[in-house]
Amino acid sequence: MAKKNLTKAVRDFWYGKPHTAEEGGRRLGELYEDKTGLLKHREWRGVKDTFYYMYNIWGYNYVHMVLDILKYSNNPIDFFKGTWRYRWMGQTYLPVIHWFERGLQGLRGEALYASAWHYRAMVSASIKQICTFFNADTRLHGGKQNDAYRHTIYCNETTCGTLFYPWKDAGYQYVSMEMIPYFVTCHVNSHTVLNYIDAVQSIGLPGDPCPMCQAEAGIFVLDDVPDSSPFIITCNEACDASVSTHTLQDWFANKPLFALPLPMQFDDPLVHKYCMNEIEECWKFIEEQTGTPFDWECMKKYLERQNKLQRDEWEKWEVASKTDYYPITGVAQALFRIYSTQYGVQTECWDEASEKVKKIMYKCVEKKINPFPQTRHRVIAWSCAPLYYSNWCTWAYNCWGLNVIINMDSLMFDMEIRTDSYENMLEDMATYHMWAPMRRMAVGGMHHIFELWDYMKRFNCDMVAMYDQLQCKGMQGVHGLFEDEFRKRNINAFWMPHALPDCRTVSRAEIRRQINDYMTTVMHEEPLDPSLLDFDDSMTW
Amino acid sequence: MKKLKKFLLKFCLIFVLLNVGIFVIFFFDLDGKLLFNVVEPFLKKHYDNMERKDTLAEAYDLDKFPKYKYD
Amino acid sequence: MKDLKHLIYFENLLQEANNELVKQGKADGKRAIGYTCYFMPEVLLDLPGCFSVRLRAPGCTSPDIATYYLSGRVCHYARSLLERALEGGYNFLDAQMGTETCTATCRFQEHIQQKHLDSVEDMRIIDNDDFFCTFTDIPFKNSENSYQHFETQLRAHVLEPLNEHFGIDISDEALLKAIEEHNEVCRLINEIGEYRKLDNPTITGYEFHVIQLVSLVCPKYLILPYLRETAEEMKTREPNMKKEFRCKVVLAGSENDDPDFTKLVEGCGALVVCDRFCYGAVESRVPIVLEEGKSPLRCIAEHYLKTSNCPRFMPQDEMRARKKRLADLAKEYHADGIIVASNKFCEYWSYERVIDTFILKRDYGIPVCSIEKEYINSASGQLRTRFQAFVESIEIKQIQEGN
Repeated sequence: MAKKNLTKAVRDFWYGKPHTAEEGGRRLGELYEDKTGLLKHREWRGVKDTFYYMYNIWGYNYVHMVLDILKYSNNPIDFFKGTWRYRWMGQTYLPVIHWFERGLQGLRGEALYASAWHYRAMVSASIKQICTFFNADTRLHGGKQNDAYRHTIYCNETTCGTLFYPWKDAGYQYVSMEMIPYFVTCHVNSHTVLNYIDAVQSIGLPGDPCPMCQAEAGIFVLDDVPDSSPFIITCNEACDASVSTHTLQDWFANKPLFALPLPMQFDDPLVHKYCMNEIEECWKFIEEQTGTPFDWECMKKYLERQNKLQRDEWEKWEVASKTDYYPITGVAQALFRIYSTQYGVQTECWDEASEKVKKIMYKCVEKKINPFPQTRHRVIAWSCAPLYYSNWCTWAYNCWGLNVIINMDSLMFDMEIRTDSYENMLEDMATYHMWAPMRRMAVGGMHHIFELWDYMKRFNCDMVAMYDQLQCKGMQGVHGLFEDEFRKRNINAFWMPHALPDCRTVSRAEIRRQINDYMTTVMHEEPLDPSLLDFDDSMTW
Repeated sequence: MKKLKKFLLKFCLIFVLLNVGIFVIFFFDLDGKLLFNVVEPFLKKHYDNMERKDTLAEAYDLDKFPKYKYD
Repeated sequence: MKDLKHLIYFENLLQEANNELVKQGKADGKRAIGYTCYFMPEVLLDLPGCFSVRLRAPGCTSPDIATYYLSGRVCHYARSLLERALEGGYNFLDAQMGTETCTATCRFQEHIQQKHLDSVEDMRIIDNDDFFCTFTDIPFKNSENSYQHFETQLRAHVLEPLNEHFGIDISDEALLKAIEEHNEVCRLINEIGEYRKLDNPTITGYEFHVIQLVSLVCPKYLILPYLRETAEEMKTREPNMKKEFRCKVVLAGSENDDPDFTKLVEGCGALVVCDRFCYGAVESRVPIVLEEGKSPLRCIAEHYLKTSNCPRFMPQDEMRARKKRLADLAKEYHADGIIVASNKFCEYWSYERVIDTFILKRDYGIPVCSIEKEYINSASGQLRTRFQAFVESIEIKQIQEGN
């Protein structure tokens, strides 16, 4: 008995504890401190993976976060000034490595190595965006509008970065006003955004509009948006609240603003011409504001890079859909896709990460390594995800063996843009923009939102995680029809209520409880790791 | 040679101690604990008490900007 | 004031969507075409051979089945429409001209639309074999590109389907005839509305609201005689000797087809002299002007984009000008304040209401009462308290200003 125990102890030390309870599993839930979500100690993943994690992920990323600042910042002092000035910066930037921890928890081998590269790219690109903000911010430069200010283009979060490629080589950077202050903060530190939601409600906005839009307006109410560009471009993605948010943003920013509306009924071939004209008008506005002409060659160059990134993604999807060898966890897959499409090809980091991930992925294929060996169900996640609990996918795999293969948001922008002629490019740009996040599925008729069944087939999924964003009017408006269809088609689907960035509306524990209930009462399954069923992380980042 | 040996020994010792130190920080999530319990509360206090512009006082001019039309 | 001759008749017409005049219109062999939003030009649905019905769901207080489909977290108006449709209340409709102008009503219209998809079953909510529903893409701007786009959309998704399905004449001559009839309605409503500008108006906001609504939900050719008679009656209507109101207000905001809401406001002492909300008359009763060198359809497309003050318009100049237009209305109608009311869950107006509340008061000196309401206002007690407090605040302001 003692020998058996010793052998197990040695094996656990060398390889890490096994996943499941039956095998005397690792009981990840016991690693958490009560409420804070901090770790009593990090998981021992075996000698190789623990030290890989320590040096190649934890240490590597801490060092590279500093190097990225030095690389992208005109003056690193600005970075510290910005950290001191902006809540979203100070409160968010520091726990980045904990964000990794939450998304990578329990992963081993290739799943750990590959998913971490997605995170690394997101962090690097975010630092570049932050530096773009701070390099140009008049508030950090004594009110002076420096050269960087004159070379920065502000757009709202859902405006596609592709629009601004023609000015890239002339030294223009574009930066979304809300992507970093709002969107990224929710993933990394969900406390920050609550200040912005409260701020906009304090001036009279009711609590029921989409909380994402509330937060986007709230950062302006609290004067927490850097003053880094002479003008703004907004668009009407993805919903009514999004459009309305600009009324407040326009007031508080008080800068020249160009509105780029995209047609709602985008399947109608008649809307294309209109959309193309709107895009061209937007370009004229930029020319007028910057005094720099549209550069077709530059546009072409960056679109081709973007197309390459899209082809990389298709390659990955192909493996994800047809094999069990795809090494990326659900959260890393979804966020990488959203970040890369929204930031666009402003840095090389997407390409680099993609190459590294592909290498690991093909190794899995060749050597038949299943990076998620405890998969019980292949899950497709539909609708928009809870930002404060984007890492639920990792929890769901560890606890129940639910492996999220693909997310709805990843399927936006699912196309290449032709670069053989200006006319073709413009036509594709129109489609591309109309297929933006939370747009391709959520507006323009019911056809797209119910493409779920096709994607389930394509990605070989047997279960649906149905996000239930309580304040998304578009998705709430198809709730009953989905219930009907799930029943009719006998599809295993669980609803995940949430309020996008606001963890106060539906807590993480409540989300887990909903999934637990479904898995036990409907699926009659036992958890792989029972310690993860119920724990209190109410105060966590 | 002795000096070199001593240097190498020292170097190895420092290297090992450094790694042990880093490992302790890493393994016991000391970075997370420091940020959560010390840095974030400090920064929060700073941001909460920061003087901010009254954004509601921002002008809402009708004619400040032209109509951006490109028909 | 003496009661208006047709007021009770008008009130009865508002009790259900398939009212007496709609039934008569159908009996005359005309097609009933439903719509929900101002951006669907009613004039096109009033072409010879058909008539427009702007959808309402009066008396729908508990839309239970619709809440299953749309959830309880979208606008009560959209849910009420779906509930009424599920009850069979819109089976008289031959077509629905849909617009994706706000999410909730769009989802309602998508539910009643036959989608012919494998991915989601048609519900066949409207039990009428002829029924069809099309969607028109509505621009967000006032620009040449938008006018052209809107014109193309209206031809492809309104006129041509009406012609294909029901043989409706969509020639320029037919359009001109519809415009003529439409302008006649506008002229009469505006004529009646002019009395609201009097120092002591000879029409209440409630009465006007009822009259405006019947003009939206009944076949024009059938309601016109009543409107003419009412306009005539108004010429000799005497006001009450003693003013029965304590102040005058503009009522602005989102969808509002509930005259009882106006009655509630007026019951608190604030006479509603102008209605700038969806279903109101400010935009919808501006006559369509035909311009030389432009086709009637083009004029219609431009008219509906140029006259709208909807918060979905995105350009900077439009966003800012909306506030001034509202202030101008208050001036034109001699109003002492503005009530901005948005339906719960209406995202457009939730935001617009916030900014109106600050800017109109700060930059134009107009007192604003900002409230959130339901489609059917059963919880009137709270609202009454708000309105009473608002009226009192206006009175105090007037005393302080020495008026």
